[in-house]
Amino acid sequence: MTPEELSNLEIAKTVDARGTACPGPLLEAKKAIGKVESGDILEILSADEGTKKDIPKWAKKKNHEYLGTIEESGYFKIYLKKQ
Amino acid sequence: MENKKMCMALFSGSLDKLTAAGIILSGAAADDMEVDVYVLLQGARAFKKEIANDKDKIMLAENPELREEFVESLKKLNVKEWQDFFKEAKEITDVKFHICGLAGKIWGGEKLEDFIDLADDIVGIGEYITAAEEADIHLFI
Repeated sequence: MTPEELSNLEIAKTVDARGTACPGPLLEAKKAIGKVESGDILEILSADEGTKKDIPKWAKKKNHEYLGTIEESGYFKIYLKKQ
Repeated sequence: MENKKMCMALFSGSLDKLTAAGIILSGAAADDMEVDVYVLLQGARAFKKEIANDKDKIMLAENPELREEFVESLKKLNVKEWQDFFKEAKEITDVKFHICGLAGKIWGGEKLEDFIDLADDIVGIGEYITAAEEADIHLFI
């Protein structure tokens, strides 16, 4: 998805994990995805560089759809669709 | 998809290695793995109630002179303490901490109550070998 498409998504839940280092954002994503419905979009904010690769890989393993990442200044936003 | 199994031998009871174990357990928890942690020699000491909760009794395994810097750095990065990592992993997935009976005795811990609440039971070496045999991933820390 393009950044524009990503920013127009309807977000079911946003998790702000910018205050934590690895493995914080991954665990926050894991907990949050349990709280939304199938087909819902989850937005994860993180400033931890490793998370950028970690969360998409984890999502793939768990059969959630990784939609893309938007770069912001000093952090980024990752979008997942729950299986 | 069936959940994978991890078996961890936690031999170490030093702050750096306990922290590493905690982070690895978090990763396993994110993947919904079933984890059996066998708390061996130095690990069993760290699990003793009076040791686990006394910050002056758990050192770094490597570069011990950097302990203060390490602790400060973790705080700054908002990284949890090892016991909190272990607790959180347990809340998310099936993680069990098995204390090695002999190791417990070496440090004066005879009963489960002598160890922090994270400890699930006291076992012998046979259980560890069986778990290692059955696990998809086996780590020695």
